[in-house]
Amino acid sequence: MALTEPEHENREEEEAPAADDEDTGAQVAPIVRLEEVEVTTGEENEEPILDLKSKLYRFDKDGNQWKERGAGTVKLLKHKESGKVRLVMRQSKTLKICANHLVLPTMSVQEHAGNDKSCVWHATDFADGELKDELFCIRFASVENCRTFMEMFQEVAESQQKKEESKDASATAGLLEKLSVDDKKGKAEEEVPVVTKEDKDAKSDAVKADEEKKDAKSDAVKADEEKKDEEPGSST
Amino acid sequence: MALPNQQTVNYPSFKLVIVGDGGTGKTTFVKRHLTGEFEKKYEPTIGVEVHPLDFFTNCGKIRFYCWDTAGQEKFGGLRDGYYIHGQCAIIMFDVTARLTYKNVPTWHRDLCRVCENIPIVLCGNKVDVKNRQVKAKQVTFHRKKNLQYYEISAKSNYNFEKPFLYLARKLAGDPALHFVESPALAPPEVQIDMAAQQQHEAELAAAASQPLPDDDDDAFE
Repeated sequence: MALTEPEHENREEEEAPAADDEDTGAQVAPIVRLEEVEVTTGEENEEPILDLKSKLYRFDKDGNQWKERGAGTVKLLKHKESGKVRLVMRQSKTLKICANHLVLPTMSVQEHAGNDKSCVWHATDFADGELKDELFCIRFASVENCRTFMEMFQEVAESQQKKEESKDASATAGLLEKLSVDDKKGKAEEEVPVVTKEDKDAKSDAVKADEEKKDAKSDAVKADEEKKDEEPGSST
Repeated sequence: MALPNQQTVNYPSFKLVIVGDGGTGKTTFVKRHLTGEFEKKYEPTIGVEVHPLDFFTNCGKIRFYCWDTAGQEKFGGLRDGYYIHGQCAIIMFDVTARLTYKNVPTWHRDLCRVCENIPIVLCGNKVDVKNRQVKAKQVTFHRKKNLQYYEISAKSNYNFEKPFLYLARKLAGDPALHFVESPALAPPEVQIDMAAQQQHEAELAAAASQPLPDDDDDAFE
């Protein structure tokens, strides 16, 4: 926990990968003392079934225009028990959440006119911890990635539809006996096919490594960032 | 250092003062962090705008109250009155406008008169632009005055997290502090009625024909 504590000021310089990060700042006394805390991603009980680099936009209805929401990694996460799938996107570097919503049978993802690397959908989003109606547009580095995303999204939405239907059927039957219905069983039974992307194995390795040595967390994150930087589309 | 009408929080928060000439991109930089958007339109800030900006670190959540001050003299308002109790600062200039770098010493002097010994980051913004007037080598002020310097681009997000990361490390005295994934809470179930769904579909169809703001650029980050 306090592994980093006895280190001295020159540590940052030792670690600095580039001259860019050279610390030329004055020595100033810290004004708070912070202890390392346990970190949770909130994604611990989920499996990523899709993980792609992208740029997300939200539609500004007042200005009738798309506005950037963030650039980073979009994931479709399938809950290990309930089978529910949600879309989570995080801004790279700051790792903040740009989008966080369930993929529901009522949703459909559509092409974005004039751009075959991007597509659009509506969602009730929970990124800021409150539900908000949003129109989203997402742009990928390639047409293939966009297609992969659209197919996966649609497939998930439809598979959730089936669950809803079987839930409805059992609900009707169940209602005859009692009014409360447990929908968890029906949902967990059906499987959403898993897309195996090239980087998926590398990703889960990073996650494993992360679990093994929590203290090396920062290294894992760095490695992860480096990996992402190597992906096509990030070069300038 | 929240404003009287702002909610205080039960995690560490810091008053961050952002200064620099008008048009260097202070507001755009803050907005980029707040909402993700990149505002191209220039609307000078009048007086000051204060925005809370949260980050998740391995040492918990922290907040910067960003005091985004007017760069233009005629809209300066209280000027260095805004600096009182500042705990850290960013001085911004525009690498495509030499004068904005020349004015950095004045901003620094005024800031240091009010805030002694606070961590300060000098930011050279707009490094994505091809025709720079201030080259990286020509930036030397930070060495003389012991500031940290970052070349940034609010447009491309180049180094855009670095100023906050640097300041957080200094304020906490922990050079190993880093940003972590903020917890993605489970979104609650929502019921959408047919009428609402039809409206969303109509809106989506209209939105799908609007172009993206940066359709031309294929580089991410």
